[in-house]
Amino acid sequence: MTLCLHQSAGFAIDTPHLGKITWDSCSELFLPVGLPGFENETRLIPVEVPAYRPLVFLQSAEHPGVCFVSLPVLTICPGFELHLTEDDRANLLLDAAAQPAIGADILCLAILLPSGGGAEANLGAPVVINLHNSRCIQSLSPQAVFGYYRLNDSGAWEAVC
Amino acid sequence: MLVIRRRAGEAIVVGGDVEIEIIEISRTRVKLGVTAPRGISVLRREAAAVASENRSAAAFLTTGAVQTDLVRLLDKVSGKMAKNGNGTADM
Repeated sequence: MTLCLHQSAGFAIDTPHLGKITWDSCSELFLPVGLPGFENETRLIPVEVPAYRPLVFLQSAEHPGVCFVSLPVLTICPGFELHLTEDDRANLLLDAAAQPAIGADILCLAILLPSGGGAEANLGAPVVINLHNSRCIQSLSPQAVFGYYRLNDSGAWEAVC
Repeated sequence: MLVIRRRAGEAIVVGGDVEIEIIEISRTRVKLGVTAPRGISVLRREAAAVASENRSAAAFLTTGAVQTDLVRLLDKVSGKMAKNGNGTADM
């Protein structure tokens, strides 16, 4: 999967935050159930701006004003482990017994939340992308052991107790 | 709290146009089917909290004041990552 601003044609959207984006269908994420609070957002475009790597912008393909800022969870917590529910696996079209590897089979992104003048990330609700079919969900496993992380003044992430 | 006992295949109706059917009962879980008008949001409880978070996350880029914070934040995150050599970490 390519995470970048695409110059090739296909679809285009003029966004207030990232300017004009063009992409082809194979770069698009399909969210069978949307995201909580955004159930109708079933198509997202992952956009990586070189100056802001490793941030990933998740731009709605249909609503120009809807865009989330995210980070790969491993850049926040290198020891992160993912727990998927049966429903998560079904929506990602993963086998019930499959143990998908982060980076090889799936991507895990944490959506950044505004917090005062900084940001927090809820690692208990990662956005999970199946790299083999571009299906995407926000996982809400009751078994998740990772919670909130906050960006401190020195630019490092620390767990919120 | 109203407590109602139901069996698989039975249902309850809420507010006249929302129907919740017990589809299957296993040892540890209940599978529910919800039929509701399109405008009614149906969420698991844990998803309701995340829905609120997602709405504020989407506002990260739309509120002017927050946008200023975000620019600082982006610099902080990307600067820190570059300094640590984590910029190419696996996702």
